[in-house]
Amino acid sequence: MFKYVLRRLIVAIPMLLGAMSIVFFAMRILPGDPCIAMMGDQATTEALADCTKNLGLHRPLAVQYADYIWRSVQFDFGKSLRQGYPVSEYIARMFPHTLILVLAAAVVAALVGVPVGILSALKRRNPLIDYPLRIFALLGLSMPVFWLGILLLIFFSLRLDWFPLIGAGDLDGVINMVKTGEMFQYPRDFFAAVLDVLHHLALPALALGFTLAATVSRLSRSAMLEVISQDYIRTARAKGQVERAVVYKHALRNMLVPLLTIIGLFVAIALTGTVLTETVFTRPGLGKMLVDAIGARDYPLAQGAITVFTMIIIVVNLVVDMLYAVVDPRITYR
Amino acid sequence: MAIARDASEIAPPIEQAPARPTGRLLRRYAPIGIGIVLAVAMIVIAAAAPLIAPLSPSAQYSDAVLKGPGFMDRHALGTDEFGRDIYSRIIWGTRISLQVGLASVIFGFAIGVPLGILAGVQGGRCETSIMRCADMLMAFPTLLLALIIVTALGGTLVNEIIAIGIALTPNFVRLARSLALQIREQDYIMAARSIGSSQLRVMARHVFPNALYALVVVATLYIATAIRTEASLSFLGLGIPPPTPSWGNILSEGRQYIKCCPWITTFSGVAIMMAVLAFNLMGDALRDLLDPRLKGE
Repeated sequence: MFKYVLRRLIVAIPMLLGAMSIVFFAMRILPGDPCIAMMGDQATTEALADCTKNLGLHRPLAVQYADYIWRSVQFDFGKSLRQGYPVSEYIARMFPHTLILVLAAAVVAALVGVPVGILSALKRRNPLIDYPLRIFALLGLSMPVFWLGILLLIFFSLRLDWFPLIGAGDLDGVINMVKTGEMFQYPRDFFAAVLDVLHHLALPALALGFTLAATVSRLSRSAMLEVISQDYIRTARAKGQVERAVVYKHALRNMLVPLLTIIGLFVAIALTGTVLTETVFTRPGLGKMLVDAIGARDYPLAQGAITVFTMIIIVVNLVVDMLYAVVDPRITYR
Repeated sequence: MAIARDASEIAPPIEQAPARPTGRLLRRYAPIGIGIVLAVAMIVIAAAAPLIAPLSPSAQYSDAVLKGPGFMDRHALGTDEFGRDIYSRIIWGTRISLQVGLASVIFGFAIGVPLGILAGVQGGRCETSIMRCADMLMAFPTLLLALIIVTALGGTLVNEIIAIGIALTPNFVRLARSLALQIREQDYIMAARSIGSSQLRVMARHVFPNALYALVVVATLYIATAIRTEASLSFLGLGIPPPTPSWGNILSEGRQYIKCCPWITTFSGVAIMMAVLAFNLMGDALRDLLDPRLKGE
């Protein structure tokens, strides 16, 4: 196991370096000058030259690249060209917003997608149950998250006025209250702030969660179909076990392994989804930060965001591979 | 306990038997039928856009700014903030979506499949280097990679096709390699080698044709992914810039007016969903038909 982990880590390093290189060179061939983007068309030649020097953009590309890789390894992504403060600080501030959105969407996806997938597999010979569930999954897959988000905003925010139109609540305040222990001194304020955050989170989580639920339900369905065709399920039935026991005791547990494989895919889809969801709901987060940074040609910020996205996906895939052995002892690592 | 007196009481009447295969056939072929009808309709709309669209997609009607839909009116699906006809814009937008969807998948297929087959058949260092590059690209989700590339190259139709095509390439590499690994163990490959076929001939004449059907099924599903990615890029303002109509940019422009004029975002969203649904249905149904493990389900 240790050797396997070590080997996977060694393989992950060049992958990460390669991904970071793609980001660096793609950002460098972006059309437009970041200094002009920052200072406007009216800036003098001297001011632009100063700006280019201050940002280190006058140096040869190879030097900039080596500097970028060395700093990134230390989680130092430089300073934001527009905001002026360290990118890693900015990412650290935005990360909790994206994290709670992904977690909330995962809860929605799991609560909706897994039961729908299992039911669809178990009732596959009953078209009255299986067909509507499969259509639900297909619609979820075909519906772009940004469109669903807009529909939810039109209905629940504009028509019914149940949820706020933009923003994310005071998540920084909640985190600060937890850190300083103020949550115990002012529990009422703390719960009010938490409720406000959840109030802002509901629609984005629903939009992202629904599109993820479609993927989860399809994969749960095929995982369940695979499991219930196994010999041990037939044996359990032949022994006279009731169907519920067969499903809960045998099928569900064994379905975990194939379901686990989708976590990596799930994180990739969810992170992509946050880029669109945060833009639709005008929520702060890594996704919106990335879109804004690209628009403003803020190289360090865009590089930092993409590098963090890539790191998360690589690390999650690594962890998922290791979890296989924990969930299914039949799997051994060589 | 009642005892059956003759075989007719036990066996079901023979006339009732055909009902089940018909139902099964319908269940099996209905999704692919719907998918094909939707996809063909989309192709026809895209090809005949100048004939079908009642108005020019860029013509501005100052007397009908942000006009609501009226199915018997001049603007059946309403107009946008410049008084442009949403119905005509959506019809013209079909061209962009279909062009990007098909061309980017062909691009990814043309680059990814030969590389994947080469990796699978050749093995060794060649396989390792191809697969490591594919893994590197696969670390990025499709939209994120397409977003990076299209940002670098600029938002034009060709650049969008290239960006989405590159983002889809590693998926084709992986699939083609796994298929090639299975196929290269077959007896007919050994037979081809024993009569002196070159590596290139084995790949082109034996491995590729045998992998083709599975690759085509997956390519159909990726058309749906490509259409959705194009719409997402346009929605983020990184795709084809206005005034050229694309479903994503119609939806993005309509975002500012969701309070007063939700029809702009609603109809363009329906168009995206129907297109993605068509290719998802087709791909799913083809896979179910061709995958022997799912037969009888």
